[in-house]
Amino acid sequence: MNGLRLSWKKFSRDRLALTGFLIILSLILTALLAGVLSPFPEDTHKIHPASRLKAPCVKYLLGTDHMGRDILSRLLFGARVTLIISIIAVATSLLIGVPLGLIAGYLENWVSELIMRIADIFLSVPQVILALFLAKTLGPSIPNVILALSLTYWPWFTRIVFAETRSLRNSVFIEATEAVGANPLRVILLHILPNVSSSIIVRSSIGMGYTILTAAVLGFLGVGAQPPTPEWGVTIAESRQYLPDAWWYATFPGLAIFLVVLGFNMLGDGLRDILDPRIRRSFE
Amino acid sequence: MDRKILYFLKRIAYFIPTLLGLVILVFFISRVIPGDPAALVAGETATAEQVKEIRTQLGFDRPIYVQLGIYLQQLVTGDLGKSLYSGRRVSQDLIYRFPATLELTLAAMFISVVIGIPLGILSALKRNSLLDHLVRGFTVSGLAIASFWLGIMLQLFASMWLGLTPLGGRIGVPEPRLITGLIVLDSILTLNGTALLSSLKHLLLPALTLSFASLATLARFTRSGVLDVIQKDFILYERAMGFPRRIVVYKYVLRNALISTVTQVGLLFGLLLAGAVVIETVFDWPGLGLYAYQSIVLSDYQAILGVTLLSGFVYVVVNLGVDVGLTLVDPRKAEV
Amino acid sequence: MKKNRGAISRNEARGISRRDFIKIAGLSTLALSGLSIVPSKTWSQAGSKYIWGCPSEFQSMDPHIIYDVTTENLRLNLYDHLYRYLDNPPKIHPWLAESYSVADEGRKWTFTLRKGAKFHTGDEVTAEAVKYSMERLVALGKGPSALFKPILDPGSISIKSRYVVEFNLKEPYAPFLSIMPTFCIVNPKLLEGKAGPWGSEWLNSNDAGSGSYVLEKYSPGTGWIAKRFKDHWMGWKGNFVEEIEFRTIHETASRVMALIKGDISGCDGYLPADQIEKLEKDPNIKVYEEQSMRIALIRMHNQRPPLNDVHVRRAISYAFDYDSFIKDVLKGRVARNAGPIPNNMWGAPQDLKGYTFDLKKAKEELQQAKVKIDRALTINPMTGYAQTDDIALILQAGLQQIGIKANVVRETWPNLSSRGKDINTSPDMWIHWVSTYYADPENWIGEMYSSSRWGAWKASSWYKNSEVDDLLKKARTTPDIETRRKLYEQASRTVVSDAADVWIYNTKWYGPNRKNVKGIRFCPIGDGQECRWISIG
Repeated sequence: MNGLRLSWKKFSRDRLALTGFLIILSLILTALLAGVLSPFPEDTHKIHPASRLKAPCVKYLLGTDHMGRDILSRLLFGARVTLIISIIAVATSLLIGVPLGLIAGYLENWVSELIMRIADIFLSVPQVILALFLAKTLGPSIPNVILALSLTYWPWFTRIVFAETRSLRNSVFIEATEAVGANPLRVILLHILPNVSSSIIVRSSIGMGYTILTAAVLGFLGVGAQPPTPEWGVTIAESRQYLPDAWWYATFPGLAIFLVVLGFNMLGDGLRDILDPRIRRSFE
Repeated sequence: MDRKILYFLKRIAYFIPTLLGLVILVFFISRVIPGDPAALVAGETATAEQVKEIRTQLGFDRPIYVQLGIYLQQLVTGDLGKSLYSGRRVSQDLIYRFPATLELTLAAMFISVVIGIPLGILSALKRNSLLDHLVRGFTVSGLAIASFWLGIMLQLFASMWLGLTPLGGRIGVPEPRLITGLIVLDSILTLNGTALLSSLKHLLLPALTLSFASLATLARFTRSGVLDVIQKDFILYERAMGFPRRIVVYKYVLRNALISTVTQVGLLFGLLLAGAVVIETVFDWPGLGLYAYQSIVLSDYQAILGVTLLSGFVYVVVNLGVDVGLTLVDPRKAEV
Repeated sequence: MKKNRGAISRNEARGISRRDFIKIAGLSTLALSGLSIVPSKTWSQAGSKYIWGCPSEFQSMDPHIIYDVTTENLRLNLYDHLYRYLDNPPKIHPWLAESYSVADEGRKWTFTLRKGAKFHTGDEVTAEAVKYSMERLVALGKGPSALFKPILDPGSISIKSRYVVEFNLKEPYAPFLSIMPTFCIVNPKLLEGKAGPWGSEWLNSNDAGSGSYVLEKYSPGTGWIAKRFKDHWMGWKGNFVEEIEFRTIHETASRVMALIKGDISGCDGYLPADQIEKLEKDPNIKVYEEQSMRIALIRMHNQRPPLNDVHVRRAISYAFDYDSFIKDVLKGRVARNAGPIPNNMWGAPQDLKGYTFDLKKAKEELQQAKVKIDRALTINPMTGYAQTDDIALILQAGLQQIGIKANVVRETWPNLSSRGKDINTSPDMWIHWVSTYYADPENWIGEMYSSSRWGAWKASSWYKNSEVDDLLKKARTTPDIETRRKLYEQASRTVVSDAADVWIYNTKWYGPNRKNVKGIRFCPIGDGQECRWISIG
């Protein structure tokens, strides 16, 4: 109990991390309460062509889009879409990548070589390109975007977990445990995994930020969510042909993305500082 | 020396199966793309029979492993197939479009290095000053901005409202005689002043946008690298011995900090390649990124395969080069 | 560089000094920021160059391969046809051919070429070239070949003399003259010995034509530039432009800005209504406006339940808010077209009332439906065509109000058009246009609603009505225009009564150009991109 309180104290003193945490909290609350907070919740599926492209005013705080829909309301609901995509994608990457990393790190034979080679292959193409390729192959839809994102992010988890597992594995206390006759699964789950968990947590937070950005890119390029889903990247793509006059249409969704990713990045940094200052210099 | 050669060979040995794996991965994924490739080749006004004809002609009805065998064979001879949409060789298209992306990526890399590293150093040396806070704020936000949105905002602000920069494309006056395909370089080589000015102006916004994320990353890493080194004991010792700060900084801090920064170059290059797809789309930059996007939109799968392979190949080669280059600089690396 | 007092590390012995590096960095940053202060130089149209901003890319310059509305400009300017359409309403004019004759009830078509017409290389255009070009088109099997392949067997073209060529069709085909303007004449002498089947690899990036302009420079992805062909058979009188450029600018907003700034002389009219309004208000720009022939419609799969029930289709037709779409979204810049043939084309019944937005009538029709609606329908708009998204959303909203659920899934044109060729993969409902490829009702109703045309994307309604089939077959094979007109009108009425598809509007053509551009000559085929009539200043 004491350790937790100590961590919280450390955490709350790090202003950056605290701000990040608050932003994420707001995001989650917004996503949950979108129906209540939105002035025009029906604009996720209803259209009003007569009020199209209105500038921000009292009625429409962030203006309307080309179909007369309130941008503020659609952004709030877009938070829901964003969260769903990112959480499931990162969770799935985790579920694929972490076990693979543990296995590869623990074993020291051809299996671990194979796993790491496969991870390398997935990492040999810049990820946005591979995710774009996959998403296009599978067809434009939210589940397929999630799948494409998961299948391109898991190697990052595997790499980190592999490195840590490998070094832990050869430490004296593990060898001692094995000498006593504990079975490998126990060793992995009870001894290695807890030590690796801090890296996983940090990686997940940063992964959320990265995934949100990549999902927005896929939406922007047209291989993600479909109309009338109010996804932020799709909204920015739609807005382009109405520039420069309807500047609000392109500006606010991007700000939303920025705010949210910033929150996750700050949170990730803060967690890293608390949980494991040692790994501050690892990439991302 | 022996150890270095061994490491070098080991890295090359990893490079080949990785590349092969990439080829196979991409090939299998691409065969599942909906949008019957045979129908695309046949053209939009063709009938179902014409489509079937083309399917047999190009061997799309043969089993996957046979198709793969043929493809691998073609790859070895440098034949990446024909673009389904234009009938032109994909390799031709790629060679044609590559310089534009190279120019953009190099410019972005240049900006990242030239602004990012000094920022990181200064920020570390003047720790906790206003500059440091600004730089830290910038690096944290720089990684949170969607690059395509940044590009659109810059375009809106600088090109549309202020009219300072062009809206897109590589150049607004007639092209200079092309030697390398890098228009800025060719303008210099052919002593064409108007072309140089125009091409630089067109390059500015896209390169700046593309460099943003890697600039932030580089500044961040340089900063923490410098901080780490500064805190090491031997620096204290040297300072205590009376060496002026500047010499200590330049001699030890930078050298060591830069080594770790250079390791990031390979990864950043991947960031840049990926970013090129959206940046080229936003700024109408006729390079590989825009080509990739068009090919995906048109389900031109020979082209998609070609682009994915090329970017993978380039990325792996760059990382290999960086790795090997580092062993020359820092022999400790070879101890893997 | 100062000499160090300590040992020189081996790393310092190589490479540039860090200090120099930082110096360069500082200077470069300054230089880069200084550039933005230099004013933007507009590429002035040095009197004699016409630059047109294009929304799509030119993947190939081969007129027998690429065949869509946005690349019509290369066929019109670099190449010639035997006959060509001009003006609005489109009239067919002899071009490379001086005259033609029909015999054997529409099976034998003989064309007499004019003498002395030259290709860009100086070779004369002869009957040989015509025969070669047609055989090439059909053999390559792309582009407009689908119009000719079904009626021309190999070896059915004969050369009667140096300037006379004869086509022997498999069956009588009244629209044969009308489809002539889709077919470009290429220079066989240039293509001999070039790479690719029929020299196609070479022609992808080059020019083998006889048209008013000669290709100078081509960059896939950026566009092409051509110079005036001084020896063109038509000669040059009055004012003209020496150079034309078709420049690809993908993004709508950029194209509009480029026109406003004067970087380009003209651009396409496929812009949102707001941008057109903006251009009309600009003092330096004139937006030409003409009635065109291009139908926008929602296709329905007539053979797949529940769309195989005419009452369901009628209900859907009553559930689309035509007025709101045309008035609010398109700002009234198109004309309502209730049937498949454009209202300004002969063969379209002038008294056709068609469907209106009437939810009451829609529900009444639904009640009469015999097929149950037990699933959600899918509406496919086309990626990259924002208007189809708008149409899909409006339809979805309307359907919801009569209790029909629909999902909107965007797909690309190549995907949809190829899916539309197979009855099993064909979409439930998809949205597209049918442009004027040639000026004959056959281009619309004939190709869309004859069951014999199943297997082409234009026929992806899978409509089958034997009465209509007979009418259309007769219309296709009868040479007399009056008879054909009556047949097409009758067929239209039946097809509309059967609610085969939801026809929305007929396009108005908009041609935004700088005020100093003169001589824009619009034809629904070509969209005003034929440059030989244009002059600047």
